[in-house]
Amino acid sequence: MTLAVDLDDKDRGGPAQPLLSVAGLVKHFPVNRGLMGGARSVVRAVDGVAFEVAKRETLGIVGESGCGKSTTARLLMHIIAPDAGEILFDGEKVGTAALDLAGYRRQVQMVFQDSHASLNPRLTMEETVAFGPRVHGFSRAAALSRAHDLLHRVGLDPSRFAGRYPHEISGGQRQRVNIARALALRPRLLILDEPVSALDKSVEAQVLNLLLDLKDESGLTYVFISHDLNVVRFMSDRVMVMYLGKIAELGPAETILQNPRHPYTAALLASMPSMDPNNRTQEAPLMGDPPNPIDPPPGCRFHTRCKFAAPVCSAKEAPLGAVGLDHAVACLMAIPGSGHPLAPALASEAA
Amino acid sequence: MAIATADIALPATKRVSRGYWTDVGRRLSRDPVAMTAACIVLLIVLAAIFAPYVAPADPYKGSMIRRLKPIWDANYILGSDELGRDMLTRLIYGGRLSLFMGGLPVALAFVIGSSVGIFAGYVGGWANTLIMRTIDVFYAFPSVLLAIALSGALGAGILNAIVSLTIVFIPQITRVAEAVTTQIRTRDYVEAARVSGAGPLTIIRVHVLGNVLGPIFVYATSLISVSMILASGLSFLGLGSKPPEPEWGLMLNTLRTAIYVQPLVAALPGAMIFITSISFNLFSDGLRSAMEVKQ
Repeated sequence: MTLAVDLDDKDRGGPAQPLLSVAGLVKHFPVNRGLMGGARSVVRAVDGVAFEVAKRETLGIVGESGCGKSTTARLLMHIIAPDAGEILFDGEKVGTAALDLAGYRRQVQMVFQDSHASLNPRLTMEETVAFGPRVHGFSRAAALSRAHDLLHRVGLDPSRFAGRYPHEISGGQRQRVNIARALALRPRLLILDEPVSALDKSVEAQVLNLLLDLKDESGLTYVFISHDLNVVRFMSDRVMVMYLGKIAELGPAETILQNPRHPYTAALLASMPSMDPNNRTQEAPLMGDPPNPIDPPPGCRFHTRCKFAAPVCSAKEAPLGAVGLDHAVACLMAIPGSGHPLAPALASEAA
Repeated sequence: MAIATADIALPATKRVSRGYWTDVGRRLSRDPVAMTAACIVLLIVLAAIFAPYVAPADPYKGSMIRRLKPIWDANYILGSDELGRDMLTRLIYGGRLSLFMGGLPVALAFVIGSSVGIFAGYVGGWANTLIMRTIDVFYAFPSVLLAIALSGALGAGILNAIVSLTIVFIPQITRVAEAVTTQIRTRDYVEAARVSGAGPLTIIRVHVLGNVLGPIFVYATSLISVSMILASGLSFLGLGSKPPEPEWGLMLNTLRTAIYVQPLVAALPGAMIFITSISFNLFSDGLRSAMEVKQ
């Protein structure tokens, strides 16, 4: 409860201003081929991604492995530097005099996927959580007291867990500690990189509920990354579907999950196992692996696996275009007059 | 808190958590080979430190008429050397220099090599390439050759031998330190620490050192035996300690002329080098396996 108090003091832009606004984010990883360096090629991990996250909402990012979800998270955290693009936090550009990296990082924290690798095996739980506040000038006693408060808030009794080491507790408990550590600096935005994908289903639900409770109590904003559509549906207000480093579809969670406009989103939805045995998926909606991001296919990157692919798809890249209220999709079928046989006709032609 | 209690697997009684090193110590104490080796090392070290109280005779006092007595002679338990000095006494005193020259270069190289290696590993990039390629140059020479060449260039003497041995070991320890640090650097908890705004020095102190010093230390203990053998080799060649100082390598050299007269006595310094170095190696093996258990 205490965490909610000072949040509104930090809010400068008002509720209408997006908390996070990302434009043209690009990250290419160079890959050396051959002994002498030779032709340098690049993995286009994130290739021109733009989106906004409103205050106190949860943006879910979904996609297959290797689609650039985690790279996006690391770019947002500035763990790796972007090649291009800018990140605005509450209206201020990150890395400028108005908002330097240290100031940004006090307000944005991250929860990692691997609960084990993200905890230092040599530190006790209280030391791990108290590390951030210590770095920011808290006395040892104050940092430890905050650590105990946070452990309590994530459902771990400090008198029993504060002095434990990571190998002495379960995966779900470790992930709770990771969440406590991320909250230790009282951030406004939490980036959750597959926070529950390494957990058992029963523990997963507990951690997700904990995250929802914390969000309500502290007025947090989440960027929630997952490959599990059920989890994303449960957590998110809006959903961003990524494919090979680009946004395929972006919009309100219910709209996208009920009425997907991108064939890739539709295929992802179709690949979810049905609870109804009469409604089983008979054939795989998506075949094979995504193409190599070193040499992404020309045109629309999804055309190699898309069942609606037309010749124009390999020639022309589909821009992210609005198809409804706050709903955008990068597919030629959604763009009037794009040349795709299934695309709607242009308004002028129809008239 | 209803959700909180469900996934608590441990018993509800309050339990004292043990640190990592307590666990390692407990596992090590259950390893009979490592404990035996540790006892032998401890015995030799203690004997060397308290040599004046333990040794039966004066290490420098010889007797021309009692030279090269055999083992179990009435006056000399382990015989006497080519100048009639008590072998047992000289072996005990010899441990001082031999252990010193085995331990000090490794300790110095541990400090320098770890610092350089951790820096290179943590910083990465071109600084890493520059440091590690420079270090690689030293690998072009076999360590024995490098030690002899450096000692020869610096001149004979204990101090110069220590300097040259330190230089021999720095690249090896640096490489291990760099490799372990590079592994740790990309761990999520280091990234989490960076994200929480900590500077590189704080991260190295809190998150890197505790996780890399262990493996480097294990490697360094395994180098002590190598250092002792190299130091003995330098002394044997006349590049380390000088007669009449008792030192195992030097004793091996001066006794080699007596190998046909008293082969067992002449082999004793070699046996000491062998026993000590193998004990160090067995102990460091035990330490390694005690530390390898999942954390």
